[in-house]
Amino acid sequence: MTTGYHPLVKRLLDGELSLAELPPELRAEGEEALRLVGAADRAPVALSPALEERVMATVRGHAASLGHAASPGHRAWRWLNTPRDVELRLRVRPWTVWAGALAAAAALALLLGRPAPEPVPGAQARGGTRDSVLVRFVLYAPGAHRVAVAGTFNQWDRAAAPLVPAGTSGVWTTTLALPVGQHQYAFVVDGARWVADPGAPAVNDGFGRRNSIVAVTAPGAHL
Amino acid sequence: MRTIGLAATLLLGATLAGELAAQQPRLDRRVSPEVQRAVQVIAADAAARGLPVDPLVQKAIEGAAKGVPNDRVIAAVRALAGRLGESMAAVREAGVAAPGGDVVEGGADALNAGFSGRQVSDLVRVSRPPHDAALTLRVAATLAALGVPTKQALQLVQGTIGSDRSASDLLGLPGQVQAGVARGATPAQAAAGLARAAGGTPPGRLPDWVPPGQQKPKNPHKP
Amino acid sequence: MGVLLGLEGEATDAEVVRAVLAGDVERYAVLVRRYRDRYARYASRMLGSRDVAEDAVQDALVRAFDRLADCREPDKFAGWLFLILRNRCFAERRRRQRLERPLDSTDEMFAAPDRPDGAYEQVERAHALERALQHLTPEQREVFVLKHMEGLAYEEIAGVTGATVASLKMRMHRAYDRLRELMKEHL
Repeated sequence: MTTGYHPLVKRLLDGELSLAELPPELRAEGEEALRLVGAADRAPVALSPALEERVMATVRGHAASLGHAASPGHRAWRWLNTPRDVELRLRVRPWTVWAGALAAAAALALLLGRPAPEPVPGAQARGGTRDSVLVRFVLYAPGAHRVAVAGTFNQWDRAAAPLVPAGTSGVWTTTLALPVGQHQYAFVVDGARWVADPGAPAVNDGFGRRNSIVAVTAPGAHL
Repeated sequence: MRTIGLAATLLLGATLAGELAAQQPRLDRRVSPEVQRAVQVIAADAAARGLPVDPLVQKAIEGAAKGVPNDRVIAAVRALAGRLGESMAAVREAGVAAPGGDVVEGGADALNAGFSGRQVSDLVRVSRPPHDAALTLRVAATLAALGVPTKQALQLVQGTIGSDRSASDLLGLPGQVQAGVARGATPAQAAAGLARAAGGTPPGRLPDWVPPGQQKPKNPHKP
Repeated sequence: MGVLLGLEGEATDAEVVRAVLAGDVERYAVLVRRYRDRYARYASRMLGSRDVAEDAVQDALVRAFDRLADCREPDKFAGWLFLILRNRCFAERRRRQRLERPLDSTDEMFAAPDRPDGAYEQVERAHALERALQHLTPEQREVFVLKHMEGLAYEEIAGVTGATVASLKMRMHRAYDRLRELMKEHL
């Protein structure tokens, strides 16, 4: 079993000491250590000349598959790429969601007080991922007069996303188009009482209450 | 080859001034002047350290929307900034020189959910394609938010990654735990059952390559 | 000083990056030519095989193209590319671990003709060090390669890897001991 190098010899290898500065009894060990490290092959390594053509051929293929020869683009390979500009989250893009949802998206747009968005051809074809997914929120709150859901997707605005009663059972519900990513939210009952979703994972909100989490991924939502 | 000065500057994301300027109008409308001033100072400091500023602003808006007193809002924002800093350190310790904002936020969520800095580092280390570190952290935090003890959540995540499951398998873990709970198990029991099925590795032991014919190195989990 | 059109050797990395992002895909070849061999030694030593290293460098260059819009500072392309390559090297190690496929022999990578005096022991020792490096942990191997082959200082290595100088030295010192043990017949 070989013993390790003396700490001073290690410092020699690190370049902090010179051989002359080692105590005489460590010189031989120091020289041995220098032989070890000196054996490192620092010769440059040349890769095959064909590499350049292989890279360019691949890269041309990637540029072409985006439909045009323009920028390499934002191929969405990250699942949880939340948009930096929060205002973007409020913008509904129905053309990336399946057809049946168009009506719901338009209704949502009305609720938010914005005109229903027009589909813009071409710009969204790049990347080819769904930007938002419909998520249904449900709360059982018999006796409540108003219920809304507020969260990171709507700036915690309790007026932005009211729920509607589903019949007379005491169940309240709404469906929102949320962008892909992770969101925190809570229900607001009668404008004042903040209630976490009993069916969802809960985290401390830092104010003594709990927020619920919904992680939205294409194609469906996960809690 | 002198790349390091270059690489080190990659630690800074978007320019400081740009980030802060973008936050100004969002805060104006939604929080009191006192909170706004305090958040700007905290955010400036965070941005200078390369931390994402967005979650801080979000937290301030959330506090204001929930009617929380100013001093508690400021305290919560400060605490979040601290967690982001701790997360950054833990992610760097795991060998990621220039973490994206989503990884840092994911680490902060994990810390908020009860993981230690060391566990955050471990989660980042085991993340490998197709498992983004941000996704791993978010899944782990969600498991903890469901009531799974952190040590077990770590084990379950490591086991799932280690047995080569897909990204959607990892993302589906919280749902599976919830299903187990719905069948009457505690979150811990549900997670343990899944970990056994996934062939989990014990927490703290990271896989290390042992060359064929060689003995295991003395310290398998040492740098 | 302006850009000399048509003389691609004169264009800075930032200028080429911007041109590619604006749509001139073919200009990317400038960066490929500039960097294909620059990190070859690092990749070869990390992966223990020039063939595997070539795949890694190729993948890194392609990935850098795909994500070029994410390169926040185009004049830091070199460092950014290095990080992509580094991640790729670590991923490759883990992939081989999983498949239990040992790395190729390092014989083909070793350039014997460079040794001026041709001393047999020196050649053997260099060979032994190459093999021994593959038995270190990836983190140990990296700090050794970056310091003793690429000639970086600890502070610079810290800047790349995100580890502290103290933990890098600890790794290195363990590597020294491990290498001593692995190479004892050759020293």
